[in-house]
Amino acid sequence: MSKATDEQTAPAEEQGNRPAAAYESVPGTVQPDEPGDGQAPRRTYELEDTGFREVPKRWRKFYRVWQGPGDSLAPNEIICPVCKVVIRSHREFRPGDRAYCMPCMSRMIVVRMPDGTLGAEVIYQ
Amino acid sequence: MAETDFLSQYSIQRWLEMCPQGYLDDTTYGHESGLTEPEDLLANDDLREASIALTVQLIAGERAALAASSGLVNAAPDHASKAFLATQTLDEARHVEIFTRRLIDLGVKEEDVDSTVNDLANPNLVKFAEVLLEKVGNGDFIAGVVGQNIVLEGMAFSVFELLQATSKDLNPKFAQTLAGTIADERRHVGFGENRIGSLIREHPERKADIERMQAEMSYHMLATFTDVFRGSGPTMDRERQAAAAEGRDLGSAEWHGTDVMAASTDDIEALLAGTVINEFKTRLGRIGIEYQDPKVPA
Repeated sequence: MSKATDEQTAPAEEQGNRPAAAYESVPGTVQPDEPGDGQAPRRTYELEDTGFREVPKRWRKFYRVWQGPGDSLAPNEIICPVCKVVIRSHREFRPGDRAYCMPCMSRMIVVRMPDGTLGAEVIYQ
Repeated sequence: MAETDFLSQYSIQRWLEMCPQGYLDDTTYGHESGLTEPEDLLANDDLREASIALTVQLIAGERAALAASSGLVNAAPDHASKAFLATQTLDEARHVEIFTRRLIDLGVKEEDVDSTVNDLANPNLVKFAEVLLEKVGNGDFIAGVVGQNIVLEGMAFSVFELLQATSKDLNPKFAQTLAGTIADERRHVGFGENRIGSLIREHPERKADIERMQAEMSYHMLATFTDVFRGSGPTMDRERQAAAAEGRDLGSAEWHGTDVMAASTDDIEALLAGTVINEFKTRLGRIGIEYQDPKVPA
């Protein structure tokens, strides 16, 4: 699954870690960092292939099957509301981020749900 | 932005990498080579006939999907949608083939496949398909995509998930076959929602007609569920009793919070119908179409 690296105590630039732009992401994923927004740096994650075979090999680590009750989402994961696949990123998701679900081709924006968890709203274009 | 922007990363090449070279790689008729239907199923006439009857409904549904998706290729107003629907047409043709192959594996002779499908296809499922195919036949792209990729595929998505949950331990061959079709359905429902989500905003005048079609299709879908569960209930009960008497454990399979291996057929029917209807409401609501309750089937 995901192994977290805490950018909060190891800011990318100061510690010589890769800058945000260096993390590979699925085209259509946008996770902007706005300098001076007062937010802590995003946590980063190593992604491993979980055996999801519904997208080309290069992109498999960015998706996994939702296992149902007992499963939970890490801060770098959201569920696609259209096809229920878990979308993953190297970087923690935050409200306003954009994500792309390759298995069902949906584009979405990350939102804070009423219960405090992160969800996604599909953008129809 | 173009209406088919969501398809900008989709191509025949992408479909090849996802399907034949992805989750279907190294499969034969949708499952690992060498897997067979379970011996105890083939040896039990009651169970085998119930499996044949169920598989016929899958074939009937997939034949309708094949006719609809191929018809929609010509009705599509843009090339990107045509290309997607061409890949969907091949997906649906594959589904027809793998479920037909299962019918043969269950003991139906090849020359008897069509007559078996004609004899056992549920009349309500046939009507469900006719409502959809009338729209497609008229070249109505918006209604056709809603009927095919949201209503029919949305129903198939849940039905396949339920069947996969119950087959995972008892029939790995069938479960694997279903896993590939579920992966296909993800793309199909994604296309339906995304394509119609933008189109319906441009054609709000179409909503009422589409809502009427959805109510009619939902009516026939619920009636099909009722017929199928009434038909298979006694077989399921007998099999459970026999397993209990012989000390065989049929295991458990949780689907949407219910152990469907232990639940009554009435409860499974209610769970399936409720799940599909809730999904319809959510999907249609997201694209601005209000779900319409159908008349309650007798």
